Amino acid sequence: MIYEEMTKQIREAAKRLLKEGAVDVILAYRGGGLNEMQVPFFVKKPEDAELIEWGDRCYQNLAPYVHGLNKKVGILAKPCDVRAIVQYITEFQIERDKVTIIGVDCIGMVDENGNARPGCSECRVHKPPVYDEYIRDERAANLPAIEPKAGETTLEENLERFQKEIDKCILCYSCRQACYGCYCKTCFIERDMPDWQPAEIDTGTKITFHMGRAMHLAGRCVDCGACEAACQSGVNVRYIIREVTKFIEDAYGYSAGMDAEEPPALLTNKFDDKEFGFLGGERHE
Amino acid sequence: MKGASSMKENEKKTPNKDWDPVIVAFLCTWCSYSGADLAGTSRLQYPPNIRIIRVPCSGRINPLYIIKALTEGADGVMVSGCHPGDCHYLAGNLFARRRFVVLKKLLETCGLNPDRVQFTWVSASEGGRFAEVIKEVTANVKKIGPNRIVPGFAEDCKEASAE
Ligand code: SF4
Ligand code: SF4
Ligand code: SF4
Repeated sequence: MIYEEMTKQIREAAKRLLKEGAVDVILAYRGGGLNEMQVPFFVKKPEDAELIEWGDRCYQNLAPYVHGLNKKVGILAKPCDVRAIVQYITEFQIERDKVTIIGVDCIGMVDENGNARPGCSECRVHKPPVYDEYIRDERAANLPAIEPKAGETTLEENLERFQKEIDKCILCYSCRQACYGCYCKTCFIERDMPDWQPAEIDTGTKITFHMGRAMHLAGRCVDCGACEAACQSGVNVRYIIREVTKFIEDAYGYSAGMDAEEPPALLTNKFDDKEFGFLGGERHE
Repeated sequence: MKGASSMKENEKKTPNKDWDPVIVAFLCTWCSYSGADLAGTSRLQYPPNIRIIRVPCSGRINPLYIIKALTEGADGVMVSGCHPGDCHYLAGNLFARRRFVVLKKLLETCGLNPDRVQFTWVSASEGGRFAEVIKEVTANVKKIGPNRIVPGFAEDCKEASAE
């Protein structure tokens, strides 16, 4: 099987890296989780590398473990995880030479019923854009990149959709906890100076939270789908972040996590940036 | 925040012919605020709908301020800073510009009328332009209608799409 072949290659690479001393620890997956799911696994000794397992249930994003880890780490990373790590590098959260990326081609992860995970069904990047070690999967070569549709809906339809989604939200903030990009020590929604949020679950707070978070993830979202998967109320506000990120890609030519040298779109500027929607400026489209 | 919540009270009333928009204007202290000053000292007429908040730089304006103003019931938000190249802090307005463009897109994606939020540049010597801008912004917001984003969230863009 292809997954077994890939698992073998990953184990070899992990063993080699640990033996050489190139890394102190490798973040990977092992079997044995609930419903046959692969779970995160920290490999510290070369002999433990034999337990690493790769398959179609490795959906947990390992990148957040790397954040703030002051060690030389190797990480087994799907394309979306690689993009998250690259974002950490461009945002000065980790140093490039401290992480060794074992990039794996990915054809999409499935849940216990064999359905595609949120994010995987609309994935745009099937090959790791940056890597130190590379594990191939021929099946990933011809997969289409599914682009977000934009500009096809009216304002009213947008509002209806947004309202329907946030009506379900109970403001538990699991989506934020799951997201690689939400690494703030204190999230704006929990700050009391200024007090963004009244201590109640109302539409205003939901709008503030979801739009605020969308603004913070704009141009940084790597489409991993973790926020949608984490929500127990079935809320999908990821589509907003995805559309805005797509807009940034068109307007400023920046794709999240594709290039470790490029500064994120909103952390930089150009003198002749277009002024879409400004008074007297141009309009988009 | 106190003032903001009383704004919410006002906006719960059904809109009638006397409805007058409340527009929160964030002005950078170096250019646009001085421009507003000049408009005042030159005795130029402009609609009294704006409530000015003075900030050090347009780059200081967190997009959350704008979202918060809208969810608290402001009918419109206007942001103005120094023209590109004239920023007192060199590039604050250039960073802000990208943020505002993205915020407009975000409003649109969420189904809120992006024209409620207006961005522009006014320099310290452009008192006349300041008055013109305020007239334009007020006219635009009047066209969209009162803010019902929070209490009657769904009704918000009815007027806009009916145009
Ligand atoms: S996880 Fe779901 S319910 Fe919880 S805050 Fe996020 S969207 Fe709302
Ligand atoms: S916003 Fe959602 S899809 Fe985007 S990076 Fe965060 S968790 Fe992943
Ligand atoms: S929503 Fe914004 S402030 Fe909160 S954790 Fe995420 S990035 Fe940080």
